[in-house]
Amino acid sequence: MLQRLRTTPPRYGLVAVAVLFFIGLPTVIDSFQAGEWAQALILAIAIMGLNILVGYSGQLSLGHGAFMALGAYTSAILAHRYKMDYLVTIPIAGLLTGVVGFLFGVPALRLSALYLALATFALAVVAPSLIKRPAELTGGVQGISLPPPIPPQFAKDAFTGLTGVPMTSDQWVYYVTLAFALLLFWLAWNLVRHRSGRAMRAIRDGEVAAAASGVNIAGYKTLAFGISALYAGIAGSLFGLGTSFVSPDTFPVSLSIQLLVGAVIGGLASIPGPLIGGIFAYFLPIESNQWVPTQTWIPSQIASTVVKAGPAVSYGAVLILIMIFAPNGIVGLITTGYTRLRRRLRGAADREAGQMPPDAQTIS
Amino acid sequence: MALLELEEVRAGYGPTSVLHGVSLTVPEGEVVSLLGANGAGKTTTLRAITGGVRWTGGIRFGGRSLSRMHTEDVVRCGIAHVPEGRGILTELTVDENLKLGSHLRRDGPAVRKDYDRVFEYFPVLRERRRLSASTLSGGEQQMLALARAFLMKPRLMLLDEPSLGLAPMIVRAIFEIIRTINQADKVAVLLVEQNARIALEMSTQAYVLEVGRVAVTGSSADLKGNDSVRKSYLGY
Amino acid sequence: MQELLQQVVSGIAQGAIFASLALALVLIYNAMGLVNFAQGEMAMVATFIAFTLISRGVDYWIALPVTLVIAFAGGIAIQRIVIHPVERAPLLTLVIITLGLATLLNGLAGALFGYVPRSFPSPFSVQTVDILGAFVSYRDLGVIAVSGAVLLAIYLLLQRTTVGLTLRAAAHHPEASRLLGVHVSWMLALGWGLASAVGAVSGIMVAPIILLEPNMMQTIIIYAFAAAVLGGIESPLGAVIGGLIVGVTVNLAGAYLPFVGGDLQLAVALAIIIGVLVLKPNGLFGRPTVRRV
Repeated sequence: MLQRLRTTPPRYGLVAVAVLFFIGLPTVIDSFQAGEWAQALILAIAIMGLNILVGYSGQLSLGHGAFMALGAYTSAILAHRYKMDYLVTIPIAGLLTGVVGFLFGVPALRLSALYLALATFALAVVAPSLIKRPAELTGGVQGISLPPPIPPQFAKDAFTGLTGVPMTSDQWVYYVTLAFALLLFWLAWNLVRHRSGRAMRAIRDGEVAAAASGVNIAGYKTLAFGISALYAGIAGSLFGLGTSFVSPDTFPVSLSIQLLVGAVIGGLASIPGPLIGGIFAYFLPIESNQWVPTQTWIPSQIASTVVKAGPAVSYGAVLILIMIFAPNGIVGLITTGYTRLRRRLRGAADREAGQMPPDAQTIS
Repeated sequence: MALLELEEVRAGYGPTSVLHGVSLTVPEGEVVSLLGANGAGKTTTLRAITGGVRWTGGIRFGGRSLSRMHTEDVVRCGIAHVPEGRGILTELTVDENLKLGSHLRRDGPAVRKDYDRVFEYFPVLRERRRLSASTLSGGEQQMLALARAFLMKPRLMLLDEPSLGLAPMIVRAIFEIIRTINQADKVAVLLVEQNARIALEMSTQAYVLEVGRVAVTGSSADLKGNDSVRKSYLGY
Repeated sequence: MQELLQQVVSGIAQGAIFASLALALVLIYNAMGLVNFAQGEMAMVATFIAFTLISRGVDYWIALPVTLVIAFAGGIAIQRIVIHPVERAPLLTLVIITLGLATLLNGLAGALFGYVPRSFPSPFSVQTVDILGAFVSYRDLGVIAVSGAVLLAIYLLLQRTTVGLTLRAAAHHPEASRLLGVHVSWMLALGWGLASAVGAVSGIMVAPIILLEPNMMQTIIIYAFAAAVLGGIESPLGAVIGGLIVGVTVNLAGAYLPFVGGDLQLAVALAIIIGVLVLKPNGLFGRPTVRRV
């Protein structure tokens, strides 16, 4: 699954197209849809963080939903209680979550991958009840409500100048999210390309060998944890911005599963993977709920079951099918497809058999 | 028709080819040795027979082709394979190991008699029945492996380096018992050994492998008597 | 003093439930080196099956064994269909597959039965009986008895029968077992079937207490993780003892430690997991053996 996806030369053209696409998107879709795409980008950021941990440094965390919660609540408390400007709280929330993640990474070093998955899963399940407890700080079961964000004047002017219509809160949130997403993806791309990224990949592929080549295993693994938590924290904080509300029940264990699904679908150990994964993870259940009932070839029993079950059935099925048939996700499929095509075009050479030893002698 | 026939068997691990066309036969009830230096392919030959490695060519046991059969099914045809390292199930007791030898058999009274014989040959196994197999010494583990193979009531035993790591006295004792089993129960043996001297004493026929092919073959007596073969191939 | 005894007995009953699920986890871990994250959801589905049988008029004491048989078959089916094709895949792939399975089962249960909690019948009344001055409920005693019986049956099966022997052999030494004629692949399926049946017991025992709904096992599985980790994830005995210890500890903590209360009992389980993994990762009965890959 975690095969070596060779660091392909950056397709700058594709990247430019993608960036332009996302910048221009809110001008062609309505405000509500912009809000949805913002949510998808938020998931993509969190999944990028998870990817750094799982895909690049080989540690599996099933608790990233809890880190998102930490980021979201940090921002919410700072904005609500201490009246800080929400935008300022985002990097603070990210940093705080990153530090907590780093500290987490220290005991995580001693755990095998399986035990780490187990422990983080337990954390994700317990997180809501841990949030509910300190009720004066977190608002307990009711959570914290925030006023919807108002776009600043320069943004409103720019948007109206471009499109002729006033900018809504959702669209503003979209652009804030996009800005962070661009920044964080760019950072991840740099991280992976340079020494720390190579070190992490070496660790993922074989700790003993990596240690033998002088890689500071402990340092890089905890660093990976911290960075991935930072990403999740920022994603959580942006989530609060977008929904104007955080509560313990918005961060159930299924969120952590959703992140994992997205990471896996997109393709672990790749940069575009989390983006694709975020889009899939967000839109798949929505679209399947709308698309499935319209398909006449699906028996109505199955269709209604799928719709009633919500995202869980699609996520579960997709997860299983992808891991069986396409463990490197969509990006992996594209990459192997491309490699296979190239090989076929060049033609394969046969190997020659070695020299033949002399015939057997029979002694009589 | 021989009990076991290998015909131009090629086998390897992934891209590395180890056997380049091995042919040999083991007649019913005979002991045949398979000799050669390290890396010649002796262990791979045994593994091919019981399906532990992919092979091409022909392998027939009792006239029946073993092509594409799973290890456990090959074994159920009547072949007992004591691998390199003996294959002792160290998580289980001595008794449980023995029971895994006899678990496929349906002939209750005969099984009990065979148990008596096993404990006669290897009294130490009776003493340590209830203990974990991991507490046995190297020699005792070899005895357990042999006892277990015997309990399977096979028609053919594949033994991979039974003398490895054992003191000479224990080696003698074990080979005596192998000879007894062969003669009393007419169990054929394909014996892989580095210790060519003792192998040639035990066997009627021998094959010497070199780089994945049979370099020399003949009756054990002839090979023993041939000085140049002994010096070039057998190291003594 | 009486109250303490009551809490301890309640804790043992809870612990028996955790022990059953933990044993299921251990069985699969021994067979494949894998923690089956779907074990709880599989138990939940089995419990819904039992519920369907009982609500159609089947007597509880017939529905119970029938459900265990169905759960057994279901476990085998899952192993054959979902796990067997990817047996040789890396561990993380298998873990993710079990997570997918858990999600899928949860969604299916939700679709078929809805998320409204239902009451699940128990043949044991909640009346109490006076033991040594403490009032112990029949239900707690019943849970202990039924779980104990199932655990004993599994023990006898594994330790005293030929099938159990070949199962253990295949789990610990697959290659050597093949050379002894053991169908290792079938034994793996059998292991899944047994684990599924044992896990089903925990679901059926806990449903009358916490109400039947698709998410009901999500907290129980955490307690089972704690029990398995505490006992040593390779040790069936450890699973049982670990389960009892976790059950009693969590119960006493909830009753006597005010800052824990009812809602943070789960956090106690998390603390146990983290504590054990940091201090003594092999648990009480685990051996620091190198895990074969």
